[in-house]
Amino acid sequence: MGTIGKDVVLEALKKVQDPEIHRDIVSLGMVKNLEIEDGKVAFTVELTTPACPLKEKIQDDCRKVLAGIEGIKDLEISFGAQVRGSKSGAGQTDLLPTVKNVVLVAAGKGGVGKSTVAVNLATALKMHGAATGLLDADIYGPSVPILMGVKEEPKKIAVNGGFKLVPQIAHNLPVMSIGFFLEPDQAVIWRGPMLGKALQQLMADVQWGDLDYLVVDMPPGTGDVQITFSQQLKVSGAVLVATPQDVALADVVRAKSMFDKVMIPIVGIIENMSYFICDGCGKRHEIFSSGGAERAADRFKIPFLGQVPIISSIREWGDKGVPILVQDPKSEVSKVFLEIAAKLAGQLSVVSEASRRAQALKIIST
Amino acid sequence: MAIPIPVEINHIREKGLVRITWEDGHVGEYPKDYLRGYCPCAACQGHGGGIKFVSVSNAQLAEISAVGNYAIEFCWQDGHNTGIYTFEYLRSLCPCPDCKQSDGPAEK
Repeated sequence: MGTIGKDVVLEALKKVQDPEIHRDIVSLGMVKNLEIEDGKVAFTVELTTPACPLKEKIQDDCRKVLAGIEGIKDLEISFGAQVRGSKSGAGQTDLLPTVKNVVLVAAGKGGVGKSTVAVNLATALKMHGAATGLLDADIYGPSVPILMGVKEEPKKIAVNGGFKLVPQIAHNLPVMSIGFFLEPDQAVIWRGPMLGKALQQLMADVQWGDLDYLVVDMPPGTGDVQITFSQQLKVSGAVLVATPQDVALADVVRAKSMFDKVMIPIVGIIENMSYFICDGCGKRHEIFSSGGAERAADRFKIPFLGQVPIISSIREWGDKGVPILVQDPKSEVSKVFLEIAAKLAGQLSVVSEASRRAQALKIIST
Repeated sequence: MAIPIPVEINHIREKGLVRITWEDGHVGEYPKDYLRGYCPCAACQGHGGGIKFVSVSNAQLAEISAVGNYAIEFCWQDGHNTGIYTFEYLRSLCPCPDCKQSDGPAEK
């Protein structure tokens, strides 16, 4: 019996597709460290995110296609993850070169629970094993300091004649908020230029270190802050948070039209306050009706990432500065957030393939 | 969303034009005075809606940079840099004979 060639194994593995990117794992460069010795085949599949929801599917598929090769006695598939950057914004100075993916958590209006979703999404991505940071850009009502239990101002350190802000670490996440720079209980009554200046600092002067994902809690609506982000940052995508009732559709439409204009892909919709499970009777109550966000996702062909229930413990622990995922990782709602984060990470991997074309823009002068 | 994306923007100083190559293979050559005249910023266009040509004699193009994922900013030597030309708008401005037969500039 002859030895098995690496080319034979790779050829077979070409039949395995990444279920999200829809290309084979060999040409995507995901197969690493292939070693063959005495009929024992070992390799690593490098996933595009540690939060990959499809690990088992890929593993099964690999086993299936290799089963057809004669002489393989033993098969060892291990998994690694290398999060790919999906930032676009061609030919532009990258203000966050150490951050691979910038995700905006946005909504067409306030009060839909963006901050709660942003905090728990960031925590979930971290729990999946990705280096994640959280940036609170909601100038009108920064709530991340409360939700993450951070009170102190970030430290300033001198770097190359200027200074950088070092984010506070809360529940293992580096956290930065515009709220750290505001007087408590004071309204922000800035005009555009001041706002721009503050955001510029928040975007450029924070020392995040190497991050796979930076989750940004945006202010509600479609205004100055959104425009500044879309012009100055290389944003990977936006996640829209909506509530279930039909009027939520109108807000999704507005937010979508803005992100379309600035060509930031919408990587998903999350329906928040989706349903309430009564702790007395155990019945599911759909307080704000149901499925509005899903219908909106359907209509605009945006991936629907999931439904987050109304549960008083989310609020209770939020008020105490502890994300529900940290407090009670096994709870139903924590599972929901972990699933949503995995789907989101998957969508960002898809976007990263698509955004390469935008990155190709060359600006030259001859 | 079928907005085409430029793949190359070449400022050819000698000829005083900007050549834009699009993802779909289309190539357009924009004379600099034409680009400047159709600057979409509010200072040039006002708030009346509709796009008009505002002639600026001998405009010199200093720098071109990308804006986010969706637009290009032209910075002129007289310091004018408020025009953000979205890809869609730029494409609608394309002065090549094929494009000129269809509609004029889109909304900014």
